[in-house]
Amino acid sequence: MDTPKKEERGKLGRRDFLQGVATVPVIGLFGYALAKERQYVKAQKEIKLGTTEVTEEGEELNVALLGAGAQGSVLLNAMLQIPGLRFRAVCDIWADYNLKRAVNLLSKYKFEVNGYEDYREMLDKEKELDAVVIATPDFWHSRHAVDCLNAGLNVYCEKEMSNTLEGAAEMVKGARQTGKLLQIGHQRRSHPRYIHCYEKIIKEAGLLGRIVTVNGQWNRSVQEDLGWPARYAIDTDTLKKYGYDSMQQFSNWRWYKGLGGGPIVDLGSHQIDIYNWFLQARPRAVIASGGTDYFSPEAHEWYDTVMAIYEYETPEGVARAYYQTQTTNGSLGYFENFMGDQGTLVISESEAGGTAGSIYRQPNAPDWDEWVRKGYVTAPKIQMMKKELDISNRLDVRESVSPDEHQIPIEFYDPYHKPHLQNFFNAIRGREALNCPAEIGYETAVSVLKVNEAIAAQRRLTFDPAEFEI
Amino acid sequence: MNDKFTFVQKVVLVLLRVVIGWHFLYEGVAKLLKANWSAAGYLAQSRGFLAPLFQWMADSPGVLAVVNQLNIWGLIAIGLALILGCFTRLSAVFGMLLILLYYLANPPFVGYYYSIPMEGNYLIINKNIVELVALLFIAVSNSGWYAGLDRIIKNLWGKK
Repeated sequence: MDTPKKEERGKLGRRDFLQGVATVPVIGLFGYALAKERQYVKAQKEIKLGTTEVTEEGEELNVALLGAGAQGSVLLNAMLQIPGLRFRAVCDIWADYNLKRAVNLLSKYKFEVNGYEDYREMLDKEKELDAVVIATPDFWHSRHAVDCLNAGLNVYCEKEMSNTLEGAAEMVKGARQTGKLLQIGHQRRSHPRYIHCYEKIIKEAGLLGRIVTVNGQWNRSVQEDLGWPARYAIDTDTLKKYGYDSMQQFSNWRWYKGLGGGPIVDLGSHQIDIYNWFLQARPRAVIASGGTDYFSPEAHEWYDTVMAIYEYETPEGVARAYYQTQTTNGSLGYFENFMGDQGTLVISESEAGGTAGSIYRQPNAPDWDEWVRKGYVTAPKIQMMKKELDISNRLDVRESVSPDEHQIPIEFYDPYHKPHLQNFFNAIRGREALNCPAEIGYETAVSVLKVNEAIAAQRRLTFDPAEFEI
Repeated sequence: MNDKFTFVQKVVLVLLRVVIGWHFLYEGVAKLLKANWSAAGYLAQSRGFLAPLFQWMADSPGVLAVVNQLNIWGLIAIGLALILGCFTRLSAVFGMLLILLYYLANPPFVGYYYSIPMEGNYLIINKNIVELVALLFIAVSNSGWYAGLDRIIKNLWGKK
């Protein structure tokens, strides 16, 4: 049809020109497709950045820290990133060490704070406080929280709410009687990834289907007992006054009966709290096995190894939930794993270790394209061909094929406790409701403390629904 | 040039050129837009007789930087040229060269295993080779003459 040879050199026919530029519009099409793709990627990224949004500064709140040890420092560092707080006082019985360190840190941030050894003195003298953040050992929580509430303060109290249910019940009552806020430090309740998983994935999209089994763990490598600088040791009288026999006990209170609750309480309660939340249920029974299998029982009165199985009566039926914590091998760290008839959710507070947030679709479940488009889950990972090839000649027809793996698109790089503290301060300002009020902390305490009881009793213990109520 | 092809054959020939160009262009643009893209991973796990060469590229930061830029802009230039049908033969040959390098860095030879996922099953021949041979056909058939800027270039400045 075309006869280019007939064209003269240096001249261009109309037909040749049109043919020459025929594919130029493809560049436009490419540009359009690229722009669409960039838009999509940008939208996905915006969903993914789950860092707590900067709320406008509210009225300044006067804050005190009660207990400036390891956990108190963690909370203090998180609070220093929250605008609108004015630190007025710090209290710690280790005046030469913890207290000094916290006061010095705050003075670097231009906060002139008063240091106290005795919290009652602090409550007497500091009359302008709006809130107190309590990070003392568990056996002090109840008295500290109740006295602070009665002094008219809003209270953020670390978990475990108390080492006894009586103590925890006093706290619930204290909050109710004073009308002040009491937030318990189960900080996952405010974590953007956990909120996304419960609100969007489980509740709205129902991607897990009916959750029938759960498992979770917090495994820790062997850790030496905590020491202390000898020249800063607290004198015996002061220790006795505050309920400790020795510096060894003061530094390692978590291991002692009457002071703490051992790893199942320190670590497990964070995650068992999530079991209750995601299952929207309270356990009806628990069996458990545990003991001081590795450490010396003199310095480790509480169990260093615990394995527990809960039974839940969820709105959709029975669910069984396994939990283990051990302190001799840290492999796979900590995570919770919810298994429904349509999907599996593996979630962790930790960004490290590959269990931060993955969700696997069961092959029999309806496709998740809609939820990928909405950004609730990422597109599935391409399964490695090599793996399938290697097993294809052995794969029994009765075995299930491996499900698609999607990610939860929420990355979180703020301090873990920051959003929970923010929720507390915003609740004081009347902008939000508490994510973990005393009643929820109490339910979790009932659920968790029963494990230690079941280990001691060596049998299945049931929960009376009335136990969860105050 | 003789008209060896029917109209439909010419359309398909142009289509082949354009889709390969699109693929090259996007491979380049995607790497350009990915903030920290680098060929290091691909090169570092190279297998086969040229593995030492590719691993050397991955290990020396200076060389790697040049390789990354050459790769990105090479892909973009070749992609644009193929879509527009401009210097088609030359860009097809460069395209083949690039693909050959990718292929040789991680050839699907018997007994090699890779940690990067592969989206298919290959024995010696993989999609790289298919694209390479398709480019060879673009080059020998001079696809740019049919619906391509080469037609304008040759008409204006080319030798008779």
